[in-house]
This record gives sequence, structure tokens and C-alpha cells, in this order.
Amino acid sequence: MKKLFSMLLVLAMLLSCFAMPAVAEDGWATLRVEVFDRNVAGFNLEDCMQLHYVQEKFGDPNHIKVEFVPVSRWDEGEILTTQMSGTTAPDICITYNGNLVNQYIDMGGLKQLDDLLNEYAPNLKAFLGDELLTYGQFDTDEDGVKEQYVIPARRIAVANVGNFIRGDWLAALNMEKPTNIEEFEAYLVAAKNANLGGQMTIPLDFGLFKSDPLINVKRFTDPFIDYSKVTEEDWFAYSLNHEMLPGSKDGYKWLNKLYHEGLINESFAIQDDDTGDRYRVQGYFGFFSQQPDQPWRTDKNFETEMEKNVPGSYWTPVNCLKNVYDNRTLHDVYAPNGLSIIIPGWVSDETAINAIKYLDWMSEYENMFFLQNGTEGKNYLAVNEDGIPIQVQATDTVEDAYKMHAGDVCFISNGLFYGSDEKNAAATAIPFTGYEDLVKESYGYAYTDTWTSVSFSVAIQAETDFGEMVKSKQGEFLVKVVTCAPEEFDAVYDEAIQAILNAGAQDIIDEHRAAYQAGNFRGTFPGAPTAE
Amino acid sequence: MLVLPVAFYLIFCYKPMAGVVIAFQKYNLFKGIFGSKWVGLDNFKFVIEKMRDFPIALYNTLLLNMMGLIAGFPVPIILAIMLNEIRSTKAKRLSQTLLYLPHFLSWVIIGGMVLQIFAPTTGVINQLLLSWGVIDKNIPFLTDGIHWQITYTLVGVWQSMGWGTILYLSAITGINMELFEAAKIDGANKLQQVWHVTLPGIRGTIVVLLILNVGQMMNIGFDRPYIMGNPLVQDYCDVLSTFVYRAGITNAKFERATAIGLFQSVVGLIMISLANLAAKRMGEQGIW
Repeated sequence: MKKLFSMLLVLAMLLSCFAMPAVAEDGWATLRVEVFDRNVAGFNLEDCMQLHYVQEKFGDPNHIKVEFVPVSRWDEGEILTTQMSGTTAPDICITYNGNLVNQYIDMGGLKQLDDLLNEYAPNLKAFLGDELLTYGQFDTDEDGVKEQYVIPARRIAVANVGNFIRGDWLAALNMEKPTNIEEFEAYLVAAKNANLGGQMTIPLDFGLFKSDPLINVKRFTDPFIDYSKVTEEDWFAYSLNHEMLPGSKDGYKWLNKLYHEGLINESFAIQDDDTGDRYRVQGYFGFFSQQPDQPWRTDKNFETEMEKNVPGSYWTPVNCLKNVYDNRTLHDVYAPNGLSIIIPGWVSDETAINAIKYLDWMSEYENMFFLQNGTEGKNYLAVNEDGIPIQVQATDTVEDAYKMHAGDVCFISNGLFYGSDEKNAAATAIPFTGYEDLVKESYGYAYTDTWTSVSFSVAIQAETDFGEMVKSKQGEFLVKVVTCAPEEFDAVYDEAIQAILNAGAQDIIDEHRAAYQAGNFRGTFPGAPTAE
Repeated sequence: MLVLPVAFYLIFCYKPMAGVVIAFQKYNLFKGIFGSKWVGLDNFKFVIEKMRDFPIALYNTLLLNMMGLIAGFPVPIILAIMLNEIRSTKAKRLSQTLLYLPHFLSWVIIGGMVLQIFAPTTGVINQLLLSWGVIDKNIPFLTDGIHWQITYTLVGVWQSMGWGTILYLSAITGINMELFEAAKIDGANKLQQVWHVTLPGIRGTIVVLLILNVGQMMNIGFDRPYIMGNPLVQDYCDVLSTFVYRAGITNAKFERATAIGLFQSVVGLIMISLANLAAKRMGEQGIW
């Protein structure tokens, strides 16, 4: 018995000591690639159609065994850090957490990629373009020349904002689509009074997104900003703190009013993430704001699910969050870079070459097309005259063996790519069979009065130090100012703003300001409209 | 047979202890413990001076643990005594099992149950009380600071009370039956037997558990406050473990997380020593 135990122990210790060897004895190399896992039922990333294709077309000819390492999309940053500190991270890592990447670079933990890209990645460089590549360049040795540490994925569609209203409710109320805040509020009130969603009617879907509480809320409060009082410098300094820009306070006051009129989910602060989705398909909501194609997506189709529960109900895009001062409907769009692709510093040169070769292979159109669209007859039924797949099948209707996750495997492209901007634009509406016009309309709104979201080309140390603290205080701020008694609003607002500043926002604002003054910023300032 | 537990402590408790040094470093996760720069007490200074949530988290940790101790410590003792008095073995087993079942539920599940039961408007309790006309306004179990802390404490008591009885029950079984018989002959009723025989008989166990509990004052689990908490009661539910998660783990500042952890341990050591000293002064055995 004793012997057995000690043997088990020795075995356990040995196992924990083994790091993953990159080259196998038989001359075959291993390439471990991180892929986001979104828990699609019936879909196994480690043994999926896309991986088999990669192995057959890229792995076998090059004597490389490709492995996908699934990482939960929602905890990817924390998992990556854990893997990095234990040197178990995959050979190709991906993350949306730019802050983390900046830290890794500061610590000297990433592979420098300039030579590798020049030598092994002509297709990849062509696909990404020189301008986009600058998003991954950092001057770490302070010699004035920037080095490539990150390969930024290319964002195909930069549209970010989609606002949706219940078409059937509008008809029932005999109302037109609202075009400004006033009409919007009138719709919410009328919907509530008529109890269009039954006892549970919640005219405005409003949730608390814990990991970044104000990122979507600002869609409701930014229309109250008086841009004539905002300088460009302040815009960049307060890029993470729109709640402090002139006029925002009125926006929160408005939300407070809506809350007390019962137009917002009363317990939004404690409801979990799934509740909102459930309420949405049960038809309780009269309005929600997410991505431009959200109601009709193949993986989570709110529209068809809701129609099953409430016959005749439908979502239609609306453009009603109009600025109260200048009548623009501003929409933020993503920067042209998507997620960050990195290679850890300890990865051997041969493996790094294989990694870059893999990315280069991925950017060849034929391969990208397969990885993004899957198999004709299974994932889509035909292609149109532009070569764009039509009759795309919803994920849950595809046989398990053909299930796939387009964007997550082909991560050099954030969004489906069909060869040119025109084709990409034409393609955005095609997968949404039956809803093409609505999708087009939604994208039309999303590209109205746009400004590109702000980022900085230097690491903002205060964001690393205080970012999480500030976000948590922003969540507290949001809940407090929306739910407090209207007569206490001013006092609560001032106090909560001060709490955000004290939690470290002041340091972040100051550092942003310094970065702006040094010219290390990206993105656009919408500014005040010029007189016509 | 001691090999396994000893190995467990060596591998999982003593070896990682070496990592404590990163509390005094500017930790570089690529260079590891040996390649990182030493910075003295900078991490402690940063946490205490720059992170304004730290004192709040510290205070809440102590407060919630104190509340848990006051409300939760006597309950298993009372339950154990009550269980001990049940005659029917079947009834005893059944009630014991039912009592310690919650211990095996994950906090994620309990968190969901708490939301269903205590939520404002949609929660079962508020709906019942409202429909009966007992109250005319929601009781903010989860949305008001003090209410939340009480809910948190009571849920914790409910979850752990059955499990806590096991130790006391076995201590009670260890009491010499002759003492009870002698008390009975002297004419002691049930309550007097409990007071004069059972309680003194398990006093040693109670003291040891109390000392251990006091030593745990600075420690608080992560899942329970994280799952039950919400931004409405942020100032009341933020504790050291959730603070460490935010300040250290989510943005890869391991050195700060370690500094806070070390601080916790040192204070815990001081507290447990004091409790032990006090117990010895009162004539009990203590734990060392």
C-alpha cells in the first residue's frame, strides 16, 4: 500500500515537472494554438472540422501537428495570465485585453516578430496591411524605432452599435419609430401603460455588465453631452469616464427618471447575465441596445426565439438616441484592429516560425474562406454570384460533425472576409435570411455620425493599477445614481463621481492627458458640429 | 500511512510558501521569482496608501467574520445537543443528513437560490409577505447594505451549521455515560444534565474550535461574497478576497495580491496566538 502511494506521488510530481516539449522525436513538430471556446452545445474544439482541415492542409504537408487549446472567451485574460506565469500558454495566444498585452511587453515576455513576419508571412502582411500592423508596434528599448510584438487582427466591420425596438409594439400603440429622446420616452411610457409584454413588461432593457459597467450605458447618456463644451484633449483624457463629460449628468438623471417610472428592470443590479436574454426572448422588453446584427445572429437568434413565444413579435432597428444639443445620432465604431495575437517569449525559434507560417497560411483566401464558412451543403447551402455563401445554417441545426465557430478559429480576421470592402459590406446582410433589409437598415444607422473608439499607443500604467477598481466604482455609481430618490440625485451623483475619481480615475485621466499631449493616441473626437 | 498527508503539506502548503517573496518584488511573470527586482515594502505601501478600497475590504472582512462567529458559533453546539436527545435513530439520522446537506452545495447554486428567495419584487419571501399584507414595501434583503450583511450571515449559518455539529456530536458521545446516570440519580432534569454534564464535557472541543475560528478572522472565502454580492451593496460586500481578485488577479499584479495575502496571514497568526493565550489563561488546554 505504502509503495503504491509513494509511486503515485512520484508520478504526480514528475507529471507536474514536465513542460510541453515542442518537437517530437519523429521529426514532427507540435504547434499549440489558442482558440476561444464559447460553449456551443455539441461542438468540440479539440476535434472539430476546422481542426481536421488545418491538419490536413497545413499540418501534414509541413510535418506539424496542430492542436487547438480551448480557452473560455469570458475568462480569457485571467486564464492567459495563469498560463503565462506557468509557461503552459499555447504557442500562439490571442486576447482582447490590450492592457494585459502592454504589461507582457513591458515585462519582456513576448517574442519580437519583425524578422519572422518579413521572412515567412507575405500573405499575412498583405492581408493586414502596413497601417494596421502599426497597432502592434511598441518602442520597448526607447531607441525611437518601434518593434512588432503583436499581430493585430483585422476588423472587417467596425460597426458597434445596434438599437432595436419592438415593431409589433409600435403598431399596437399606433406610433411611428421614435426619432429622438423625447419620442423614445413617450414610446416607453406608452408601452408600459399598455402592458404590452404582460405583467412583466420592461420597456427598456437595462442590465449591469459587471466587467465594464458603463461601456454600453454611455449609449444612453452620451446623447446628453454638450460637445461645444468638450475639448479634444478632454475627450481623450476622459475616454473611459464619459460620465464626467459636460452634460452626461443629465443623461443619468434621465435614466433615474425612467427607473422611477418603472420603465427599467427594477432589479437590474442583481440580475444575472442570462436573465436578460431570457426576458428578451419571452418578449418582455420593448427596446434593447447591442451589436448591429444582434437579434438575427445564427448562434443566438433572439428574433426567432421570441417569435416562438410571442407570435407576431419582431425587432426592428431604430435610430432615436439623438443628441439633445446638436441633433446628431453619434455612433462609436471599433478601431481597425481586433484582438491581439502574440507569441510568448520562451517559444523556440522553430516553433515561432511554424506559428507565423500557420498565420500566413490562414490568410490565404481559400483557407480563410473554409475556416470562416465551413462546408457547402452543410454550413451553407449555396454561394451567390459574388462567391458569398447564402442560406447559412444556424449553428444548432448543423450536424455536430460540421459545427464550427467561424471567427474564433480564423482569428486573424475579426469578421467574415470576402476579398474586398464592397463584397464584405454586401455580405453583412446575407447570412440573415429573411431579415436582410432590417440588417441593412441597422448597419446604416450604425455607420451614421461615427467616431472611432479611443486607444493609446503607449501603455497607460494607471489603467493597469486602477482600471479594475475604477470599473467596480463605476458599477456602484451606475446603480446608485439610477436608483436613488430623485431629490437626492445631485448629492448622490457628486459623491459617486468623487468615489470614481478617488479609486484611481484621476490618475488614469491624467495619464491619458499626458499621452494625448505627447501625440500617442488613436481614434477620433466627434467635436461640436460645424455651423451649417 | 503518514506519507500521503505529509507529502500533501509539503507539495501544496510548504513549497508554494517560497512564493511569498514576490510580495517584496516587482514581479515579472516571465522572469519568475529569481529574475524579478526587489522593491522592499513598495507593494504594501501601494496597497495601503493608493488603494482606497483596501480599508473598506479589511473592515468588511472582519465585520462579516465577526457576525458569522457570533451568529454561527453557538448554533452547531445547540443543534448537536438537540440531535443527541433524539431517541429514534432513524429520525436522528434523517435530521442530521438534512442539516448537513447544504454544506455540499456549491455557492453558485446557493447564490441562485438566494436570488430566487430574497430578491426584491420577484423573490418568494417578498412576494408572500406583500400578498399577505404583512409588509407594504419590499424588504431589501440583497439591495441594502445592513440587510445584505444579515442575509449573508444567516445564509452562511444555514449552510454550515449541520456540518459543524459533527465534531460536537462525536465529542458528546465521548462523555462518560456514568456522569449522566449519576446526574439523573441526583435528580437533575434534562436541562440541568445539559448544563452540568454535556456542556462541561465538550468545553475543550468548544474552546479549540473557537481559537481556530478566531484565527480565521482575516480569511474569507472568495465564492460566497463574490456570488452573493452586487454593486448596490459594494461598500458592504467587498472583502479582502474579492479585493485581491480585482486588485491582483484580474490585471496580473500578483505581487500585490501576495502582499495582501501575507498581511492577512500575519494578522491571522497574531490573532490566533492571542486567542490561544487567552484560553490558556482561563485554564483551558489551548492548541499548542
